[in-house]
Amino acid sequence: MIEIKGLNKYFPGRGRSEPVQALRDVDLTIRDNEFLTILGPSGCGKTTLLRNIAGLVPWDTGEILVDSQPVRGPSPERAMVFQNFALLPWSTVLANVAIGLEIRGEPRGPREAKARELIERVGLSGFEDRLPGELSGGMQQRVGLARALAVDPSVLLMDEPFGALDEQTRRLLQEELLRIWEQTPKTVVFITHSMEEAVLLGDRIVLMSARPGQVDDIIEVPLARPRSQHINELGESPEFASITTHLWTRLRSMQVLNT
Amino acid sequence: MSSAEGPALNIDRLLDSRWFLRALAFAAFALVWQVYATAAGGFFVPTFTETAAAIGRQLASPEVWQAFATSNIAMVLGFGLAVVIGIPLGFLMGRFRLAERAINPYLNILLVTPLAGIIPLLMMSLGIGLASRVIVVWSFAIVMVVVNTRAGVRQVDRSLIDMVRLFGAGELGVWRRVILPGSLPAVLAGVRVALGRAVTGMVIVELVMVSVGIGGLILRYQAFFRFAELYGMVVLIILEALILLAIVDWVQRKATPWASMTSIRD
Ligand SMILES: Nc1ncnc2c1ncn2[C@@H]1O[C@H](COP(=O)(O)OP(=O)(O)OP(=O)(O)O)[C@@H](O)[C@H]1O
Ligand SMILES: [Mg+2]
Repeated sequence: MIEIKGLNKYFPGRGRSEPVQALRDVDLTIRDNEFLTILGPSGCGKTTLLRNIAGLVPWDTGEILVDSQPVRGPSPERAMVFQNFALLPWSTVLANVAIGLEIRGEPRGPREAKARELIERVGLSGFEDRLPGELSGGMQQRVGLARALAVDPSVLLMDEPFGALDEQTRRLLQEELLRIWEQTPKTVVFITHSMEEAVLLGDRIVLMSARPGQVDDIIEVPLARPRSQHINELGESPEFASITTHLWTRLRSMQVLNT
Repeated sequence: MSSAEGPALNIDRLLDSRWFLRALAFAAFALVWQVYATAAGGFFVPTFTETAAAIGRQLASPEVWQAFATSNIAMVLGFGLAVVIGIPLGFLMGRFRLAERAINPYLNILLVTPLAGIIPLLMMSLGIGLASRVIVVWSFAIVMVVVNTRAGVRQVDRSLIDMVRLFGAGELGVWRRVILPGSLPAVLAGVRVALGRAVTGMVIVELVMVSVGIGGLILRYQAFFRFAELYGMVVLIILEALILLAIVDWVQRKATPWASMTSIRD
């Protein structure tokens, strides 16, 4: 369980200007093995929140507990998937997937075996020796996903992972992510700009409001699991339509306030 | 060979061969030179063929080889020191704000100073020995190494650093796994430019102050009106620089094969 209590985060302003408050009094409890999606206007602090949970950057007040332990820095229990994939361009697919294990000091044999297993799982067998520059965006993000899964994290932090992909590739990867999550459940915190994606993937949707970012609403998604086999039909269902309408009403009122 | 066109002259393939294009450009250049020198050059401009003959004589002359050796000792030392000192400086400045603040003023001074102008000052304080020549070459080259290395470090993708830190890498791991390889293309680009500047510095110092080596020889040719040899010397310097650049390019291709993959040129 991840407990975020009264989190406030400021960034120093440029020169003499006032500090910018990125997060205000964020309270949020994320259940074990829950698929949580976070939706909110651009610049509302979603990435900042995720980097706080990851332990990459400090915050100002409040606390983050993972399984009752305060977060003090990065931990191998929490892996991240990046919007821009963040693959090492000079390393092969195999080395990229294995890097987490390598940093942990896993010997070559077991680490490459594990990496090959995950490469197969994301459907990239045969591409082990390619460089990232030789792959399409969708394939690169499969590598990013395999790399995060290779260290068996209990929490997967995903920052708009499919935001840079085209519609069809995005849909394929959504299905694949759901399939993997259904087989090996873990806590997923998934940031997205797409209302549709937030509903189709999430158990709950956290709606954040802009500047300073705060939790505006938390919405339970009543769509049945498992969903990986029929994402498309779910997208046509009346429940889906009513949630997206609700989300849109909320988001639109925020945008109006903002402009 | 895979196409069924047979042995007929394949113009596309010929145009694709860079050696063909280079030979063509060179032939055009030689022709223009020859025509110009014959028609309008007079006493001061040797023709292409005269220069070529002079180069032939020079390549057989121990005096010329000796001059190149003398000059290049200063070049190799100055350039080597610029690389060995410049790369760490660039790394520090790119990663740590404090280092940037402390070193940047001096870098800027080196960047804006007309170096040829301070050569006489150097000679007065250090004499006309090897040391002053090395220092001049070093000052010509080091700025390019530092500036490019620093730029390379700064453009390293922040999410790559996040990624290795999340997997547990410390500062040392971040350097080894991300910053060093990530900035290598820019570092080598800096070394490449610095090499060109080092060759320039090598010749300028000998022309302006210490007339030894290549510069000394050039001054002598000039004094004795041996213009074909003078031109030949210039060509030989260019040849040396091109060979050195080709070596750096080769290292660049071998060491950073991924860098060309993201190029926007096809
Ligand atoms: N390193 C930083 N220094 C100063 N301000 C920052 C920094 N990082 C983020 N901010 C500011 O904090 C706020 C939240 O940024 P953040 O990147 O978390 O937003 P986001 O919700 O992820 O936006 P997007 O949807 O566009 O990715 C923004 O106003 C941003 O300008
Ligand atoms: Mg963001």
